[in-house]
Amino acid sequence: MTIPSRKFLSLALSVLLFAALLFWMYNALAGSFGAIAENHYKKAAEVAMGSVPAKDEAIGGWIRRISGPSREFDLLFLKGFPEDKGGVKVFAPTPALGDFLALNGKDPDFARGIESAMYDEIYQPARRFLLGDEERRVLFAPAHDGETGEVTGTAVFLFSPGGFDRFLSLLRGLFLLALVLFAAVFAVAGYSRDPITGYVILGLFTLVGVFVAYPLFEAVRLTFLQDGKFSLETWKSILTTRQYVTALKGSITLGAFTATASTMVGFLFAFVISRTKVRGKKFFSAMATLPIISPPFSLTLSIILLFGNNGLITKQILGLENFTIYGLGGLTLVQTMGMFPIAFLTMVGILEAIDSTLEDAALNLRATRWETFKTVTLPLSVPGLLSSWLLVFTNSLADFANPLILSGSFRVLSVESYMEVTGMNRLGHGAALSLLLLLPTLSAFLAQRYWVSRKSYVTVTGKPSGRMTELVSPGVKRILVTLMVLIVLFLFSLYGTIIAGCFVKNWGIDYTFSLANFREAFERGWRVLLDTLTLAGAATPIAGILAMIAALVLARKKFPCKRLLDMLILTPFALPGTLVGISYILAFNTKPFLLTGTLAILVLNFVFRYVPVGIQSGVALLNQVDPAIEEAAYTLGADNRQVFTRVTLPLIVPAFFSALVFAFVRAMTAISAAIFLVSANWNLMTVQILNEVGSGRLGVAAAYSMVLLVIVMVAFGVINRLVGRAAQDASTLRF
Amino acid sequence: MPADLRILDLRKEFESHDGGATVVAVDDVTLEVEKGTLITLLGPSGCGKTTLLRMIAGFEEPTKGQIWFGDKRVDRLAPNLRDTAMVFQSYAIFPHLNVFENVAFGLRMKRLSKEQVAKQVNDVLELVGLGHLGHRQPSQLSGGQQQRVALARSIVMEPRLLLFDEPLSNLDAKLREQMRQEIRELQQRLGITSVYVTHDQIEAMSMSDLVVVMNAGRVEQVGTPLEIYARPVNRFVADFIGNANFVEAQVVDAERVRLGAAVLPLAEPTAVAVGGRVTVVVRPESLELGPAPAGGARGERYLSGRVTRATFLGSHAEYLVNVEGVGELQADVRNPVQLGLLQVGDEVTLTSGALHALPVG
Repeated sequence: MTIPSRKFLSLALSVLLFAALLFWMYNALAGSFGAIAENHYKKAAEVAMGSVPAKDEAIGGWIRRISGPSREFDLLFLKGFPEDKGGVKVFAPTPALGDFLALNGKDPDFARGIESAMYDEIYQPARRFLLGDEERRVLFAPAHDGETGEVTGTAVFLFSPGGFDRFLSLLRGLFLLALVLFAAVFAVAGYSRDPITGYVILGLFTLVGVFVAYPLFEAVRLTFLQDGKFSLETWKSILTTRQYVTALKGSITLGAFTATASTMVGFLFAFVISRTKVRGKKFFSAMATLPIISPPFSLTLSIILLFGNNGLITKQILGLENFTIYGLGGLTLVQTMGMFPIAFLTMVGILEAIDSTLEDAALNLRATRWETFKTVTLPLSVPGLLSSWLLVFTNSLADFANPLILSGSFRVLSVESYMEVTGMNRLGHGAALSLLLLLPTLSAFLAQRYWVSRKSYVTVTGKPSGRMTELVSPGVKRILVTLMVLIVLFLFSLYGTIIAGCFVKNWGIDYTFSLANFREAFERGWRVLLDTLTLAGAATPIAGILAMIAALVLARKKFPCKRLLDMLILTPFALPGTLVGISYILAFNTKPFLLTGTLAILVLNFVFRYVPVGIQSGVALLNQVDPAIEEAAYTLGADNRQVFTRVTLPLIVPAFFSALVFAFVRAMTAISAAIFLVSANWNLMTVQILNEVGSGRLGVAAAYSMVLLVIVMVAFGVINRLVGRAAQDASTLRF
Repeated sequence: MPADLRILDLRKEFESHDGGATVVAVDDVTLEVEKGTLITLLGPSGCGKTTLLRMIAGFEEPTKGQIWFGDKRVDRLAPNLRDTAMVFQSYAIFPHLNVFENVAFGLRMKRLSKEQVAKQVNDVLELVGLGHLGHRQPSQLSGGQQQRVALARSIVMEPRLLLFDEPLSNLDAKLREQMRQEIRELQQRLGITSVYVTHDQIEAMSMSDLVVVMNAGRVEQVGTPLEIYARPVNRFVADFIGNANFVEAQVVDAERVRLGAAVLPLAEPTAVAVGGRVTVVVRPESLELGPAPAGGARGERYLSGRVTRATFLGSHAEYLVNVEGVGELQADVRNPVQLGLLQVGDEVTLTSGALHALPVG
């Protein structure tokens, strides 16, 4: 045990003092507000008592007129007093009030109230009474005879203190918040040698709390509510309804198919590019990454144009009648074409990190090329294969855009939850379904973390050996390259179809050249295009700057709850977009965060959803920068700000820019979360494409996709050129 | 005038990562460094020397204790507010700045005028022999040149305290020797108080005014290189600096001990009572080896034994000799080429000059 330091004691003391001050203020405010409320009750009672009817028969009607659930109070009237000859006559408008009297009639406060009334005085007991299970403030008022002015009985008012209580709880909340803020600011100032960083960390925690933790909490909470009360109804119905269970199975099946196919294609590309000598490696890797940046619908769109009910290949060329691309098969095809780049990028990293001298060693030990591949290369790439499988699997589960259009009668969870929210307005069900989506994702993530990472043998040396012995015979290589070329050709034809689709008058019927699609797209979509650009333009710099700040703090500073911050800030990227979208509408449709329908909610959603990528690339880069470089700057007299602007920032500029590109591209092409957040005021291109596809205007949709593709490509080109320059500056980063 | 650097009861504890007990990296160290001296923190890896240095620089906050630069207490100051400059093991040269700008960095932080910066940077680059390389990018420099840039960048600041964190460990042996001399000369010429962390005893012996031998967070001994070598206070120091044979001996009188069959003089009188036991340190190079005389014993100052291992190393030969009543001793003989190499199995006699007895308790 260490003795608490003086600093701690002084901090505790000032927090306590501040707490005492707040408590005193709260009490004073609550007291005066209580007095106001009491006065108000008294006034209301006096007004009511001015109209007591003389006749007993009229009293019942009078009570019902002025009291009841829709009024401010319930009223119980006792005519006469216990000492009177006639005794007390009770007028209780409801049985509940009768019970109330029976229960509390013997209470000393009650006796005192009646006595006060007898002496023509109003009495308000300090304590509250229960009417059923509701708390009530009770007021006893004397009733007078209209002519003589004599006291004839007691009116018992039961005021509902709801408004007053709500005010007090709001007040309490505000004061508590003030206390927490004060303590946090004070602790940072006192404990940290570097208060600015402390405030930055505090700020990050606040942002993450409000824009990540709070919405998620709201979404989870909603799934356990039914009519405002705790209930397991939603989950029960989700887990027992056949439709939902089918959707869960569908999601997992699709995920497994896509993951397997994508990993195979990705490995093919990665192996050929990193382990053999072929020409055009640059071209092939460019092709293998292209689908990552294209809008989510573009491939689906061209698949429909080619293989749909009225598709070029299925109908016009082959004349098939009973063929349908909608369903598991088509989805797997589209997702594989769209997601194999993820597997490719993972595998290239792993394969290039495998030191090829290991293979040389195996060959030297008399292994054949095939044996070398089987016993050295393949086992070493197993962790990469597994993690790319898992990555694609989670991506496929979270994918929303493709199944929405192409699933046909095949059910998947992401679409199902969207339908629940938009079609049936059952947000609870929607949230629960997307949480269900999280289960496989989460277990994949855990598997990745605890199993795959443990099997990883590869230590990145960063220096892929220049000399390399090819592991495949010329024949096999020819087969592999042919396969790769076929896939690239297919990809090409998909993109080509989109281009063709926008210039054709009426796909499937009339293939004459026309610009009508573009005309129509720009006529109706100009504003949407501007909206999308505004949104991307606003979200991009915010995400970039936030990512850099967070990366710096996470990579370089030590502070309590760092892992919590790390985890929370990275969460939204791992979550299915539908869940994020639903939680945002839940969290930000009421005060104090009324944001639905605004640009802000879309921007915030993008920022927090895509900032993790920037953070991760920033952290990765910072981990490569020797901390001694920053320390050197400190010993040379630079302060925090100078170290950041003059040393750290120049070194991480490439990561900063790639975070910017990523945020921009995502803002332009995202849909799964955004579709819940768009409004009449702010709409997005992707949502517009979806609408066009939904109403069968495939040509216009293709035109939109083209425009989006061009914008994204241009953005990539411009920023790549900038980053290229910055990356050159930073190429001396490691010696 | 207080010493340039004073460290009082300095302690650093780290939370261990797997929970549970804290790790004491630096254990109540007290130290004084006078102006103009170069002091070396020497010890095996994990002994706390780097942590101590980083606390002086301000990169680690002490758990308790004080650090004073002259009459200014600095232990809670941010690193940039302390008047130190550090030469890092990895050099930590700013990769985005050229040589000139690297050296100028600290001066710009001091808001010196352009002319002053240019003059001082050029002077110091001249001093370290890089006058012509100001416009080079760091990636275009050799290891030794990078080392010189790091050095120039630090000394141009004219800090109160120059800190070195194993600066030569990334250089090859020849270059290391050269840089060792250059650093020492520069330090003496400029008279900058310096703290130098190393695990290399040759570096420590050759450069320092004072050596601080550390082990497991504690200071084992502080002294000049000669003191540390000739009069180690305990077995750890004797073992860590150079090679040593440890032999149990019996006190004959205050100035002599019995070692097996021989009686040998002590370098300094012992307080242990006559007949008591002490551990003496026998340095391999202090043993004189000679062929065994035909007639047997050569007198009370001589031990006899048999060579069990012989290793020829050019400038000297290392022998392992099994000595009667003592055990195996290592003996180094210089100039074996001309003296002739002994063979395994040869009978030899051994003797030594005055021995150092480890203090008891």
